[in-house]
Amino acid sequence: MKKWYWLIAIVVILFVGDRIMGKLLENIVLSSQFRYSRMYRGDAAADILLVGNSRGLIFYQPYLEEELGVKTFNLSYNGLPADLTDALVKDYLDLYSKPKLVLIDVSLCDRINKELINGFATYASQSERIKELIRNQDAKVAGGLEVSWLYRYNSEVFQRALFYKNKSDEDWLLDRKITEEIKAKLTPDYEFIIKYPKEMPKQLGETVAYLRKQNINVKLVLNPYYPPFVDHITNLDEFIKDIEVATQMKVVNYATAVQKEAYFGDFQHLNKAGSKVYLEQLIKDGVIDFDNK
Amino acid sequence: MVFNSITFLIFIGLFFPLYFSLKGRARLWLCFLASYLFYGWWDWRFLGLIATSTVLDFWIGQTLEQTSETNKRKRLLWLSVAVNLGFLAFFKYFNFFLDSFQVLLTNIGYSGELGSLQIILPVGISFYTFQSMSYTIDIYYGKIKHEKDWLRFATFIAFFPQLVAGPIVRAKEFLPQFERERKLDYERIIVGLGQVIWGFFKKVAVADSLAPFVDQCFASPTSFGSLHLLIGVIFYSFQIYCDFSGYSDIAIGLARMMGFDFPKNFRTPYFSKDFSEFWTRWHITLSSWLRDYLYIPLGGNRHGTFHTYKNLMITMLLGGLWHGASWVFVFWGFLHGMYLVIQRLFGTYWGQFLQWIRTPKVVRQLINMALVYVFTCLAWIFFRATDFENAIQLISGLGNLESFNLSQVTNKFWVIKGFLLIGVLLLIEVSDFRFDYKSLMVKSVAFRVASMSVLIWLIAFMGTFDSNAFIYFQF
Repeated sequence: MKKWYWLIAIVVILFVGDRIMGKLLENIVLSSQFRYSRMYRGDAAADILLVGNSRGLIFYQPYLEEELGVKTFNLSYNGLPADLTDALVKDYLDLYSKPKLVLIDVSLCDRINKELINGFATYASQSERIKELIRNQDAKVAGGLEVSWLYRYNSEVFQRALFYKNKSDEDWLLDRKITEEIKAKLTPDYEFIIKYPKEMPKQLGETVAYLRKQNINVKLVLNPYYPPFVDHITNLDEFIKDIEVATQMKVVNYATAVQKEAYFGDFQHLNKAGSKVYLEQLIKDGVIDFDNK
Repeated sequence: MVFNSITFLIFIGLFFPLYFSLKGRARLWLCFLASYLFYGWWDWRFLGLIATSTVLDFWIGQTLEQTSETNKRKRLLWLSVAVNLGFLAFFKYFNFFLDSFQVLLTNIGYSGELGSLQIILPVGISFYTFQSMSYTIDIYYGKIKHEKDWLRFATFIAFFPQLVAGPIVRAKEFLPQFERERKLDYERIIVGLGQVIWGFFKKVAVADSLAPFVDQCFASPTSFGSLHLLIGVIFYSFQIYCDFSGYSDIAIGLARMMGFDFPKNFRTPYFSKDFSEFWTRWHITLSSWLRDYLYIPLGGNRHGTFHTYKNLMITMLLGGLWHGASWVFVFWGFLHGMYLVIQRLFGTYWGQFLQWIRTPKVVRQLINMALVYVFTCLAWIFFRATDFENAIQLISGLGNLESFNLSQVTNKFWVIKGFLLIGVLLLIEVSDFRFDYKSLMVKSVAFRVASMSVLIWLIAFMGTFDSNAFIYFQF
């Protein structure tokens, strides 16, 4: 019987090692310069909160801060869905005093993203709301997170936290120009439909209501697309209208506000140069304006 | 039921205590019933198919041994081959042949529609039919005796660890093992468990983590730069290796824990120095099956150079078709057949050339390994592509060196993770030659505990748990 004790040893070592390494990784994540690490450790107080998916990353913070002399914090992430946005925004408000403005790019209503929500398990130890989201969408993953703490760090989000361990993530946006190969895709019969799930505008509506209830100035915008691409989006007006109905707010439509080709990285994203031009426009139009509270 | 599922963990958690608490016939019954439950979990309707193959081949085996009349023996053998291949032809190839015939008719001017049937491919049919056929063929040639116990035979055909994706274990390797008494063996449990965990690492951590990047590349090759596509092809070579060899490792490990020895199915194939060697390292049980039951009966290399090449090509083309009902698989087989032929034609000159330019032996070996790997990857493109157009798009994209830069690579998270995992895999496989981890695991408790723990931590930390089915299930 004695010779089988190693099986017990494995179980014990697996468990203890998992907890120790999980805790170690949690410390590494929280010491990172990545936006969510800064947010959950209390280093993200800001006057303007910027929110969006990859299209929200074009709210280029260093430029805004330089232009306006204010502190900004960008919650955007590639493919960030509205339900996860809701959790992050509410967590932010729990941790910090109210920002003067919350600027939201409404394209984040364009998808459900279960994979990314699971990826945010990296911050599950910091957020009951993220835990809740994971529990509601995938009981198996939620169970897995309890069984193994290491599993929490099995994601792209963790890798980004490592990547930004010792450097700022504030210039995380495309720095390339749209290529001829990409442009060539816009054949006359090319069609792009924003396949947004109907519950996502509703979810954004709840977030907006929550913010407004706390007297926070909220602005909804639709960030620019590559203008020839916009002609191929068949349901853009319907998309904006659904969001306006759900949020009971006007969406300021900047879909075609930037015209110059050199300002785009691809069909849906401005590059760094384009983002500066766009932000100037937002300031000029008073969308980013503190007197306009 | 797939190995990488909670259901299987529960199944195995119940099976092993029962297995070791039973003895003799009761244990055999348990193996048989568990195997049918395992297969029926996927689709119980196809249990009848396995049962039919089993009953027929059992009866044919029995009758073959009782009959000395040559013609009758031949008829019986043909009946077994026809029924087994008939099942395979109907369930796997019917629509393929129909579609190909339709294309042929269209090309000669016939405009009618032949239609198609909605046929579900029974999981593992290619594996268990080959296993079952080898039994009757071996009895016919007098290589083995008929198995008198139907329950042993039925368990051999349906044995759950290797039922759906091999290794293809022949009757002469498997059936005699039923004679052996199988006790709870300390060493077998250690080595078997180690192999199962290693198999899970290969499947869940490596193969499934590489899969999304590969799927993206093949779904839309024109959307990506050449470096992105190159990474996709490299990832696919490791995805398919880890997916399939991972399954084999789990199967062999489980069988070992139960007291059965299965043949090795993979031996670090990407370290092969020529294509003949590659086929002694990749899917060994299939290539040796094809060699013994197809290549050698066709004449092998016994009738001159031309016939040798012809036999090689036939074997590789049918080997390709075995993998799937599509012309891209046939072409994959054709490419490998060509590689073997070209190697036989020019291999000696190539070797002499390398010696003539005075390359050290180790460099020669590395060059040859690299060449085999590159050409294997080229063939994998056709194997993975949905059709020829898809493969050509990908190859053209690879050739477009203009976009061969890192900024054109998207989803770098998958790339970093993928290369890290491939690195861990290669490190362990290469160092295994030096350290022989299997015996280290048996000898050293500390090493055993540490290595198993590290692998499980790696699975938790880097695994992909979307329960992707094993690639070879579709074959």
